[in-house]
Amino acid sequence: MAFQEPAAEHLAGAAAETFNAGRTILEHVSNSSREHPLIHLPTLAGIDFSVTKHVLMLWLVAGTVFVLVTWAIRRYLRQDRLVPSGFMNALEAIVEFVRDSIVLPNVGKKWVNTWTPLVLTLFIFIVSANAIGLIPIFDVLGVLNHWVLHAGEESFIVRVMHGGSTATANFNVTAALATITFLAIIVAGTKAHGFVKHWENLVPHGLAAPIYVILIPIELMGMFVRPFALTMRLAANMTGGHIAILAILSFVFLFTERFGTAIAGIGVGFVLSVPMAFGISLLEIIVVLVQAYVFSLLTAVFIGMAIHVHH
Amino acid sequence: MTKDEDRGGDLQRSLNAFQENIRRAGPAALAGYTLIGAILLLGGIGYAIDRWRGTSHWFLLAGLLAGLVVGFYELARTVWRSGGPPRE
Repeated sequence: MAFQEPAAEHLAGAAAETFNAGRTILEHVSNSSREHPLIHLPTLAGIDFSVTKHVLMLWLVAGTVFVLVTWAIRRYLRQDRLVPSGFMNALEAIVEFVRDSIVLPNVGKKWVNTWTPLVLTLFIFIVSANAIGLIPIFDVLGVLNHWVLHAGEESFIVRVMHGGSTATANFNVTAALATITFLAIIVAGTKAHGFVKHWENLVPHGLAAPIYVILIPIELMGMFVRPFALTMRLAANMTGGHIAILAILSFVFLFTERFGTAIAGIGVGFVLSVPMAFGISLLEIIVVLVQAYVFSLLTAVFIGMAIHVHH
Repeated sequence: MTKDEDRGGDLQRSLNAFQENIRRAGPAALAGYTLIGAILLLGGIGYAIDRWRGTSHWFLLAGLLAGLVVGFYELARTVWRSGGPPRE
């Protein structure tokens, strides 16, 4: 019958619009699609340089940290008195904390000034990238767009709202950071003992020859496994917290859909979702700091292991 | 000592204890991650070789076994190195 066709289409449309919690959560934590990048850039040597959401967040974090730190230090150097104040005071406290609590106990006095800049850079970058992911910038932009801006589907504003905003939840980003650690371990060992001696130090000395046949491949594989564990740990922890918050918040929409009334969703949101999401968000603040701390600490531990060889 | 100062001191002590716990737990947590990471990484490499060569799961099994060996070796190293590196 003629009236059945629009009804069927309506039902199909309604089914298509059913809230899919898994898809929504994944879209909010993963990178934006490579087919629709935020900024189109050319492909060079088979590598597409187009900018996706996580790349944009990386630039944002790197740019913000660079401008803020440079500005604070230049202002401090221009002033007459030696006592820092305001942001510079906080920055100095972070520098001292990283140097005295993370780098010094692991690499020792002789090498502390060589390796503090690297560990400090990693710490500040990871803290900033983690923290920016906690601030709902793009969600506020979405609300603004819905009520005020009404930008088109293909506009930059709408495209920038797709995808997660925590760059450190992307395994490629953490893999790049772990690669820096991996190279730093080799450079540290080489600087301390010389290139050949560093590789000799990988395995204990004075063992029977057949043991080396087993031990050398294990140590070589271990060399790659340690940065891989760093990669997994940071990205998994940053993704996990966001998934937990989004899963709890999705109860609002699931209950609305299940009971066919908004009151059910609002009730669950008021009693369960929002308080729990708030609690987990507070925990996430600790996670943001702890994860940056542990990454920096382990980088210092690995560098220290390459310098002070123990078997 | 006023109540506020006392509370501030408690907070400071709690934060210090928290930091100390994380500092000590960091390498131990890494040993756990290394164990899983080794199995995942080497198992994954084995799986990729199996897909590439068309062999049925032999490289995956070898990768998983190698992952177990490397993971436990790293775990043992972390446990043995309980004293930590010396301060120079």
